[in-house]
Amino acid sequence: MNALRRGLIGPAGAVALLLVLMSLAMIVAGTSPIEGFSALILGALGGREQIGETLVSATALLFPALGICLAFRAGLFNIGAEGQLLVGALFAGALGAAITLPGPIGIVVLLCAGAVGGGAWGAIAGWMKARFGANEIIATLMLNFVAAAFALELVSGPLKGPLAAGAETAWLDPKYWLPQLLPDTRLSIALLLGIALAAGLQWVFARTVFGYDLRASGEAPEAARRSGIDIGRLTWLALMLSGAIAGLGGATLVTGELHRFNTQISPGYGFTAIAVALVGDLQPLWICLAAFGFGILESGGLAMQASAQVPKDAIHVIEGLIIFVLAARRFVATRVEGGSP
Amino acid sequence: MSALIGTLVVLTLIKSTPIIYAALGGVVSERSGVINIGLEGMMAAGAFVAVVVSYATHSPFLGLLAGIGAGALAGFLLAFAATRLRADQIVAGTGINLICAGGAAYGLVLLFNQPGASVQVNSLGHGFWTLIVLAFALAALLHWVLYRTPWGLRVRACGENPSAVTSAGLDPLALRTYAVTISGALAGLGGAFLSIGELNLYSDGMTAGRGFIALAAVIFGRWHPLGATAACVVFGFFEALQFVLQGQIAWLPANAMQALPYIAALVALAGVTGRVRAPAADGVPY
Repeated sequence: MNALRRGLIGPAGAVALLLVLMSLAMIVAGTSPIEGFSALILGALGGREQIGETLVSATALLFPALGICLAFRAGLFNIGAEGQLLVGALFAGALGAAITLPGPIGIVVLLCAGAVGGGAWGAIAGWMKARFGANEIIATLMLNFVAAAFALELVSGPLKGPLAAGAETAWLDPKYWLPQLLPDTRLSIALLLGIALAAGLQWVFARTVFGYDLRASGEAPEAARRSGIDIGRLTWLALMLSGAIAGLGGATLVTGELHRFNTQISPGYGFTAIAVALVGDLQPLWICLAAFGFGILESGGLAMQASAQVPKDAIHVIEGLIIFVLAARRFVATRVEGGSP
Repeated sequence: MSALIGTLVVLTLIKSTPIIYAALGGVVSERSGVINIGLEGMMAAGAFVAVVVSYATHSPFLGLLAGIGAGALAGFLLAFAATRLRADQIVAGTGINLICAGGAAYGLVLLFNQPGASVQVNSLGHGFWTLIVLAFALAALLHWVLYRTPWGLRVRACGENPSAVTSAGLDPLALRTYAVTISGALAGLGGAFLSIGELNLYSDGMTAGRGFIALAAVIFGRWHPLGATAACVVFGFFEALQFVLQGQIAWLPANAMQALPYIAALVALAGVTGRVRAPAADGVPY
């Protein structure tokens, strides 16, 4: 019963709050909520192309959200998913412009490169936390700016595509493009990869020793340490894996959607993903659903801005408010039910 | 050469100032037991509202006051969540950051009808120098308040052992609320310095992680107003250095150089292991 209540009231409450706040944002912008919402829904789900774009956004949010979720399980707050995603995408884009391999093998290599890049970026923060006790929240955020500066430097110079106009790598050979999932849209099989990853993580959290250790070190670090869990190792491992998942997401953006790397590849997916992970109650399968919901907002938001003149940024305010409200809910829940989130 | 050093010194002072305000806010808040991850957003709120009010009233001074007020309001919001709702402070602060940055972006479109940046407004002009001096003066004042006044003692007690404060017949939640609201006001002042002090407009992302650099300065400065201020001057120096070097040495990788202040903060963060201790009840709801 408690599990059911936790599972449903959280997301349902968040959705109800979201609807009220969205209406307010629309009224402030001088649009009736009916007009605003119909623009949003039509823009997100009004046809094959729109549904494709919504799922593309959902996929882009799903990977970093799963990464953030994994770190959160270990009691680590990773707000550097944005940078980890960027480094993963950069690795995939740079390597993709350079390699000559058979198509399917090339795709796997590029996805792995993304995971390695993001993982390395996450591991820096993990190592700093484990070795020096550095605050991982500040460290992961600082690394976002370092990643952005280095990525811009590299794609403005050494990695810039020969024909690229701006700061971009060369186009990937079409044989390295992820296969399409929905014809005539930009949706690739990255969506299935993300859902499979979520299912895998759900299993890891619920059924494996590693999943148990993560939770133990997150919820009761002292007890975990005394029971023989190496907290330091777990810290960098969790942040590395968290970064690897975000980096894999970056690689799917390159191979599945843009087919090259540029520095504008992520309009803040790594930050919106924090809201996705929290609304998904840190349960990977709920996170899939939350990612779809936020995908609707992201892709419908553009349409809402165009046809109902409600600035798209209203959506980010609302995401922030949802995080803010969930901060209170989560804590109350853990207190009342004896410390298990 | 001496002209170059002069430029570097002045630029260091300018670049340190907004971080100092935010870091002083971070010190007050964390000394009272609330981690203020929302400093970044409170700076953005201050920066944006200062521009809006300066635009509406043509008075940059009113803009400055409004910026401080906006930061205080955001601070109060976090304080309310941290005390009355007993929320997870980190998550709530992250929410504040998104609300403020998103709200400013929404406001830009709504009020100025243009995304990305506001129109140019009246800036503080020479008042900007006063604010630089004021930052250092406030650091000294905060040191005095925290270590020499009863109120300061109570705030520090809230951060170390709030139940002792209750035993003394005082309300730690009220003290934390004051401290975090003041923290927001200071961050808002830092933000207003960025938008109508250094410049004369607001643009998206102009706070550029300074709220988090300020948090690193709080740790590097051992939760002490003067220590945090010194740390801010170090980070401000690297930001200034990056500008000066870029102008002087053509072959330096200009884009990568922008990472310099962030790398400095990372190194500082890693470099103080085991030698610093946060207030005992920092981040723990009471």
